[in-house]
Amino acid sequence: MSTTTAPATAPEAEGHAGHDHHPPHLKHYFVSSDQQFDASKMGMWLFLLTEVLLFSGMFVAYIVYRAWHPEVFVKMSELLNPFWGGFNTLVLLGSSFSVALAIHYAQKNDNKKLVMNLAITLFCAGIFMVVKYIEYTDKFSHGIGMGEFFDPTGSYAQYAIPYAKQFFSIYFVMTGIHGFHVVIGMGIFTWLLIRARKGHFNSEYYTPVELAGLYWHLVDIIWIFLFPLLYLI
Amino acid sequence: MAHAAHTDAHHGDEHHGHHIIPFSLLAKVFGALVFLTGLTYVTAVYIPLGPLEVPIAIAIACTKAGLVVFVFMGLKWDNKVNLLAFSICTIIVLVFISITLLDTEYRGDFGNVDELPLDDRERIEQAIRDREEALNNPAAAAADTTAIETTTADTTATTP
Amino acid sequence: MAAPGANYLNHDKSLWSWLTTVDHKRIGLMYLVAVSVAFLAAGVLALLVRVELIAPGQTIMSADTYNQVFTLHGVLMVFAFIIPAIPGALGNFVLPIQLGAKDVAFPRLNLASFYIYLVGMAFVLGALLIGEVDTGWTFYTPYSSAEGSNAVLMVTVGVFISGFASILTGMNFIVTVHKMRAPGLTWNRLPLFIWSIYATSIVQVLATPVIGITMVLLFLEKLTGIGIFDPALGGDPILFQHFFWFYSHPAVYIMILPAFGIISDVIAVFTRRPVQGYTFVALSSVAIAFLGFLVWGHHMFTSGQSAVSAIVFSLITYLIGIPTGVKVLNWVGTMYRGSIWLKTPMIYVLAFLFLFSIGGFTGIMLGVLSVDIHLHDTYFVVAHFHYVMMGGTVIAGLAGIHYWWPKMTGRMYNETMGQIAAAFIFVGFNITFFTQFVLGSQGMPRRYYDYVGVMDTMPYFETLHAISTYGSWILALGLFMVLGYLMASIWTGKKAPANPWGALTLEWTHTTPMPDPHNFTFQPIVTRGPYDYHLADEIFGDGGDGMGDGATVPSLAPEARPEVTPS
Repeated sequence: MSTTTAPATAPEAEGHAGHDHHPPHLKHYFVSSDQQFDASKMGMWLFLLTEVLLFSGMFVAYIVYRAWHPEVFVKMSELLNPFWGGFNTLVLLGSSFSVALAIHYAQKNDNKKLVMNLAITLFCAGIFMVVKYIEYTDKFSHGIGMGEFFDPTGSYAQYAIPYAKQFFSIYFVMTGIHGFHVVIGMGIFTWLLIRARKGHFNSEYYTPVELAGLYWHLVDIIWIFLFPLLYLI
Repeated sequence: MAHAAHTDAHHGDEHHGHHIIPFSLLAKVFGALVFLTGLTYVTAVYIPLGPLEVPIAIAIACTKAGLVVFVFMGLKWDNKVNLLAFSICTIIVLVFISITLLDTEYRGDFGNVDELPLDDRERIEQAIRDREEALNNPAAAAADTTAIETTTADTTATTP
Repeated sequence: MAAPGANYLNHDKSLWSWLTTVDHKRIGLMYLVAVSVAFLAAGVLALLVRVELIAPGQTIMSADTYNQVFTLHGVLMVFAFIIPAIPGALGNFVLPIQLGAKDVAFPRLNLASFYIYLVGMAFVLGALLIGEVDTGWTFYTPYSSAEGSNAVLMVTVGVFISGFASILTGMNFIVTVHKMRAPGLTWNRLPLFIWSIYATSIVQVLATPVIGITMVLLFLEKLTGIGIFDPALGGDPILFQHFFWFYSHPAVYIMILPAFGIISDVIAVFTRRPVQGYTFVALSSVAIAFLGFLVWGHHMFTSGQSAVSAIVFSLITYLIGIPTGVKVLNWVGTMYRGSIWLKTPMIYVLAFLFLFSIGGFTGIMLGVLSVDIHLHDTYFVVAHFHYVMMGGTVIAGLAGIHYWWPKMTGRMYNETMGQIAAAFIFVGFNITFFTQFVLGSQGMPRRYYDYVGVMDTMPYFETLHAISTYGSWILALGLFMVLGYLMASIWTGKKAPANPWGALTLEWTHTTPMPDPHNFTFQPIVTRGPYDYHLADEIFGDGGDGMGDGATVPSLAPEARPEVTPS
């Protein structure tokens, strides 16, 4: 499809005179670090879109059942404590802020602050999961579980109305999958923290931090929607 | 040379490093997010908004999500193709929700389905009603007609 | 740089180098083998189904076995064969070379996708073999969740896992097309195969996650009874169908769009003309990808969904006919006044045009709400989607395999055998499935084990079923011939030159007969469109085989060429 050929290595040297000729992180099938960074970032965005669509199925289920039985959903959301939900929202927003700062400092070659912000993010994720654990155990202790484990007892017995089960099925599946993502995120940030302490990242190469940040923001966005839908309205 | 062709990957000054989002902007957005979280909590828990409650909560959530996407995730300064991908994804999600609702909200409307067009059906039913009325109660039907006639006559008489 | 004469197959022959390869060409070949095995297995099951139906009453298997066999056939064909087939095998092999890239953007994810696919399929196969799944490939609730064996759980896990393979392939291709095109390879110079794989990838990325969440919910429904889909628990089974078809309808475009790409490429090369209406053909793929998201409810016309949505779905379904019609029109237009070279790939293209048009038109018929009420779940539907999937995708896939076989293996297959096999496949296919149109329009329901109840009123059902079964044997004979002579060609075939078809895309013009491990010795620079034969004099003047040896080619027919080995 072409009339001319050029040695494969030549363009790199000419086009990127200011860059390292072949930095260690650059894969051989990419022409430049920029190309590699952009490709990774675009790949991450596409992956995030698949996450959005994964959750969209749950949101559709929520909307359909809410449209059918609004009064049940309003009544059931009484059982979820908006204080803890709001607290968790703030915790996740804080971690989103810290991960944005982590990228900010990676770009500025400030490794100390990068490490600090990654640690804050990890810590916030931990708090989120602890709160979630408290909420879940509280629900389980009152006989509120998923599917056949939905059998409210004691003071909660009044909530055993038709379609209450659907609400809590949706609640547990949505928050469960979201919590699973938080746990995965904690694994990623632990790994990043170790690498950052070893000084692997700098303004030339911080792709993993950037990608993990995008992932973490998405986890945050999902929660931004889950909080009002499940706890408030 | 190779360089010039990777059109998507290379946009002019991106070579000089990626966009660094200033600390002050990040902090402001974080502040706005915290404020909006408070706002949605207060509006939902303390202020009775009636039918507006759900739309307001959703609107606030969408605003927050928008702030995170465009500033924290840097989509505002990012490659346009990522913005395009994100927009398409949002549209597809809305399609998924709205078309599913088109079914679930109108479920059971097959009761309206008739083998005849509406006009024909109406005309036939009207004819049946008229006929039944005439058959069941010919006297009353006749009396009705006279009654109406008399009332009309009365009114015309008294009007002036 | 690899040693002289080394190619992607022989530069490292150890098994370990294959299992850990990140080379897109090797991954493509591994996909090709895997999907071929799946096709063979699912094809044999289809033959068993046909034999069972050859006469009323029990023929070779019990009713329960029959239900499991057609389920196994459907699940394997859909999830193990036709979804990964063209993108996974041919897409992986061809796409990066056509782009002038050294590899896909994420080679390790590419390898991961292959293993994820294998793991997913292991789950599916295990469940289907051990657990007696008889739900059909659609797993409709409440039958799948409330009745049936627990092996459904394992199938859902398998489908969930294999979804990731599809997503990773799609992501990889989109990023590769965006970021790794060779210098000069602008969007309007992309080969149409790339355009269609690109459109496919969009669908894969956007639709596949929904089958993921559907399978999660189905899994939980069966395991703990979450009451979303099971009407006995207050759930809505039609919601399951919405979820399922939101993926599975776009998925039929995952199946057919790559086929469109192959047809476009092959038709241009074998008629020596640029594809007519290049822009329209390219963009119609993207249009189909997006329209495909709006029509899923036409699978549910009789499910009890609202009349409003049924009418809307029916209307939007007609729209799909427009971009598809644009394509067929332009393909036929490309052949007009072209110099048609009737080699095996081109014969498959002609078969495709014939069969796909029938499949497409019957699709529009089924999209008509009132007609579908009558034809839903009959053999008419079975015939329709086999005309599209088998007559479309499989035939186009065969065209693609024959077209790229010399590049993959460095050998020419036996042309005479190829043409005979194509004839068998075409004739066998039509005998098998055209009769099913008749059966369906007469009311033969799909998935039925028996039709003995109508034998006194409609005795011709037996004749039609028998004809269909005989046709399936002819079809199978053709397919086994293909398998036979392609395998034989690896050892006994003539050595292929670098560009046996005189094609103008990079995989033919700029690589050795079998590509180098890194695809290109030199970075190609593209200066014209993929089918610009009028601008390609310099290529043919230079020998046209990408070897740079200056040999001129008197005729493009491979048999007329001197044997050249790359140096």
